[in-house]
Amino acid sequence: MARKPRDPARFLSNLYMSLFLIWLFIPLVGMTVTAFDASTLPSATPWKGVSPQWFSTLAGDARLMRGLAQSLLVALAVVALSLPLGLAGAMVLHRLAARASGVLLALLVSPILIPGLVVGLSTRLFWHGFAGPGGLWPTVLAQTSTVAAYVLVMFTLRLARFDPALEEAAFDLGASRALVMRRILLPFLAPTAAAAVPIAFLLSFADYTTTVFAIGGDTTLMTEAGARLRAGPSPVIDAVGVVVLALGVIAAGVWVLVRRPEPAPPRRR
Amino acid sequence: MAELLRAYGLRLTALLWLAVALWIIGLVIAPLATLVARSLTSVDPQSIVATIEVDRLSGELAAARWDFDHATTPERRVEIDRRIRLLADRLRRADARETAPQPTWGIANYTSLSGLPGGVLLRTLGQALAVTAIALLVGYPVAWLAAVVLTGRRAALLLGALIVPWAIGDVLRLCAWATLFDPPGAGIPAMVYGYGLAMVFPIWAALTTLDRHQIEAARDLGASALRIHTRIVLPHARPGLAVGAIMTFLLCAGSYAVPQITPRGRGGDGFGQQVARRIFDTADWGVGAAYALALMAACLLVAYALMRAFRLRWRDLARRGG
Repeated sequence: MARKPRDPARFLSNLYMSLFLIWLFIPLVGMTVTAFDASTLPSATPWKGVSPQWFSTLAGDARLMRGLAQSLLVALAVVALSLPLGLAGAMVLHRLAARASGVLLALLVSPILIPGLVVGLSTRLFWHGFAGPGGLWPTVLAQTSTVAAYVLVMFTLRLARFDPALEEAAFDLGASRALVMRRILLPFLAPTAAAAVPIAFLLSFADYTTTVFAIGGDTTLMTEAGARLRAGPSPVIDAVGVVVLALGVIAAGVWVLVRRPEPAPPRRR
Repeated sequence: MAELLRAYGLRLTALLWLAVALWIIGLVIAPLATLVARSLTSVDPQSIVATIEVDRLSGELAAARWDFDHATTPERRVEIDRRIRLLADRLRRADARETAPQPTWGIANYTSLSGLPGGVLLRTLGQALAVTAIALLVGYPVAWLAAVVLTGRRAALLLGALIVPWAIGDVLRLCAWATLFDPPGAGIPAMVYGYGLAMVFPIWAALTTLDRHQIEAARDLGASALRIHTRIVLPHARPGLAVGAIMTFLLCAGSYAVPQITPRGRGGDGFGQQVARRIFDTADWGVGAAYALALMAACLLVAYALMRAFRLRWRDLARRGG
């Protein structure tokens, strides 16, 4: 919408946006300042200069490093499980009659609407028993039930834009099912799969509640960070936050640069 | 089904159904059914009472024996010896009562919800509703600006600026929040910061499909800004508002991180902590399972109410994005 530069509505919306972004980013700035602070007490005031001490403390912290390794392992397993499951679910839903697909969708997506602690507890209970130790596998399975549901929704939304005429034309021209799958359906779904990988990875990596209730005595980066923060502010965890934040900024930058707008959906109704 | 076979062939159809069946049974139905079954079994409380008593008496007996060894006068020794005999006798009887626990079926695990834990549940739900309302008020203008007013590079930048804080996860977001704000037990501001963005993304997604010509037409016809929002933008955003409200509410009501991190142990419990304590600290697994299911039921009820309030149909969830 082209507007005159002195538009009061524009001024108000800019003001609101600025205030919102300040509110959103001030704590992140505070975390960064604390992480780089040279003082040995966790405080941003008085400022004693920049020092990478908390980052070297982090690198030498065996529990946090182990947590990080386990987080990466769990996230990779969750991606590897939830992508095929989400794709299979979406492909089945796409070809099912409306009523049946509604019921199936409700069942598959329900873990999104169930609190994480219930997902974590129930999965751990079923696969290990309460007295069982919990651990990485129950954590992977518990996270997968939620993450696969998100991946399913992404693939379902994409398939809703699929033009069936393409497939029919290919069949009419004598293409086999395998060829249609390989040359038409899968290429059409590829951008969604590419977007689903980082999203599934992040959903797993950043997860806290589901993990706490499924993992038992083991740890991921987030459960270890949560346990440390329970005791009070911790510059080492601030350093963890800064590292993850920096990776997030880089990833978002790449995403903004490579993003292409989705094709318009075929008109319905 | 015929449609499936026609499109994918027998082998692929079978493979797809196998994956879906494993998913539904192994990750959704069977775990929940096990949790329900566990919540309905309880161990005879008499044996738990006896277990606690055995623990207590063993401790007292050990202390008395230590006193006996360190007593200085003979009279005191006699006195402590009498006490040791008494304790040993009571310990034998408590031991006898502590038989192998016999599980019984019933709703006994749910009954303690009427006390303090039920109050914590209600407080947690109320808090989550308050956060949802605040996030709706704060988040709607942000989503509107990001989706409709801003264009091109600025819109992409803003979206990136919203996604990055969201992507680092609630623990690290609350870690950042806690470096600046340190009010014990102040749950609501921390929750708005922790989960408010969940409101923005669905509204943004719904508004990206809004045809801007509608707004321009309304403005040309003399509609006020308020009227444009109530008659055009808000109705179009409705599915997004519903999904955002449901997601924000669910994240807040089920949040383990906020009561864990922000009050630094000085504030009250959330309901998640109540469940964790039954499971991890006192090994009251049946009660923990019952509490978890009570939370789930409450959340599903509120989510259903929100869906009705925003007139959202179940299928829209998948069609509009969640």
